[in-house]
Amino acid sequence: MSPVASVHPIPARAGIGLRLPHHALVLAEHPAAAWLEVHPENYMSDLHSLAELERIRAHYPLSLHAVGLSLGSAQGVDASHIERLRRLVERLEPALVSDHLSWSTAGGQYLPDLLPLPYTEEALHIVCRNVAQVQEALGRQILVENPSTYLRFAASAIPEAEFLAAVAERSGCGVLFDVNNIYVSASNQHFDARAVLGEWCRALDARTVGEIHLAGHAVVETAAGDELRIDDHGDHVCKPVWALYEQALAHFGPRPTLLEWDTRLPPFGVLQAEAALAQTRLDSAQQQSYARAV
Amino acid sequence: MAAALLAADAAGQAMPEALFSGAHAGAVGLRVHRNTVLGALANALRLGFPAVDKLVGEAFFDRMAVEFARAQPPRAPQLDEYGQGLPNFIAGFPGTEALPYLGELAQFEWQFADLARCCAAPDSSGPSLQLEGGVRLHFAAPLRIHAARYPVEQLRAAILAEDAIALAGIDLAPRDHHYAMWRTEYGVNVRTISAASARFLTAVCAGADAMAALGAAAEGLGEAAIAPILAQEIVPAGFVRVEAPHGG
Repeated sequence: MSPVASVHPIPARAGIGLRLPHHALVLAEHPAAAWLEVHPENYMSDLHSLAELERIRAHYPLSLHAVGLSLGSAQGVDASHIERLRRLVERLEPALVSDHLSWSTAGGQYLPDLLPLPYTEEALHIVCRNVAQVQEALGRQILVENPSTYLRFAASAIPEAEFLAAVAERSGCGVLFDVNNIYVSASNQHFDARAVLGEWCRALDARTVGEIHLAGHAVVETAAGDELRIDDHGDHVCKPVWALYEQALAHFGPRPTLLEWDTRLPPFGVLQAEAALAQTRLDSAQQQSYARAV
Repeated sequence: MAAALLAADAAGQAMPEALFSGAHAGAVGLRVHRNTVLGALANALRLGFPAVDKLVGEAFFDRMAVEFARAQPPRAPQLDEYGQGLPNFIAGFPGTEALPYLGELAQFEWQFADLARCCAAPDSSGPSLQLEGGVRLHFAAPLRIHAARYPVEQLRAAILAEDAIALAGIDLAPRDHHYAMWRTEYGVNVRTISAASARFLTAVCAGADAMAALGAAAEGLGEAAIAPILAQEIVPAGFVRVEAPHGG
């Protein structure tokens, strides 16, 4: 399944995650940003903010990054939530639509987190079924993002990279490759993040990677005195993540890259400066890609 | 796992460690997810109930919010719609005995937040009323009438402005208070109205004609008392536009 044509396609440039506190500034000043990404759940019942987003959308390419589809739910994806997303997609005509390789709904309750899946054949079947259901309802391809993980299930028999690669292959979805999540997960499991990223590069078909995410994270100490990294999107992108991003660009080539910042949201200018750091690396990757081609 | 993340006691929070592998104990990862879930829900509620949050303080609000989240977790991912049950839940919450108006304040904030999510409708889409002499009243949409035993609008304004003098001057003796609330392009507006105006507007919003609405307003007062009340409260209010009769 292919992404549908959008009024404004997402360029392979650095975009910015738009949050409600920045609406007024973006509406008034139209600050420079290659593209914007929002969480659709913030606009499903807040019609005032949706009207603002429609006006913003006229000036920027847009991506919808969902957090509530619960693609890993054994009970399936909530049809009413898909319908709400479908109506938004129809109204906003985003270039990209995505969600996560995780679950958040069980027994009719919604838990606002990206909860981990056991990477088993059974879970693979469930995720592929759910992704297919969403893509069918939306009439377009979605991207699925690798989450940050803080625990591993003993039952997991498939490496995460191979699991998501299989989801993409079987369902026809694309991959949203979150570099910060790779670093957070690898660090929390005491793995070498560069080696883990290499495994992802080998497992994924580069053509399926439709977007890259970058973000900052927090570092806390556990009761046992160990270091734990928490993917809170509340800081600048750290140096090791920039290095992993360069490694990913060298392998996958330039891709639309989104700077996410959710907690302790700084002024929009800080996000622009952070996106500019990503853009520098994208420009360099573009040049290398061009040099290889000629 | 969902039950373990929402459980309040250690026994309910525990999952067999044999289910997990990796560098950290499963309990460590579960704690991260539990903090994320409950923290996100408390923050979502804080956004919907800012005056309640300021009044009781962040730590106490978190305690109430987490207890509420455990008792009534959301059913859908649109967290800006989450919290309709909070006003009843925190009315009489242990430790708030000195704040008998807390539940009503929360109820008012819920109405306020609910209206904030609405779009101001075009001028012509609200209810309208044909009066004698060809005068027509056009009412704003959405328009809601809110009743409380405490002066919740004044309380909310003083708390959010952190105006201790205004707060101390508010008469907290329980009696009937009525408010008209409506949405414009610029935000939510609130106007204190009389019981008669509240009855009149409630009837208008329910689709009553002029005769029935005026009859509702006059209940217990007599028709003669109604005209001046409506002239002073309704006509000059920002939620109504008066259309004069067309000339011949």
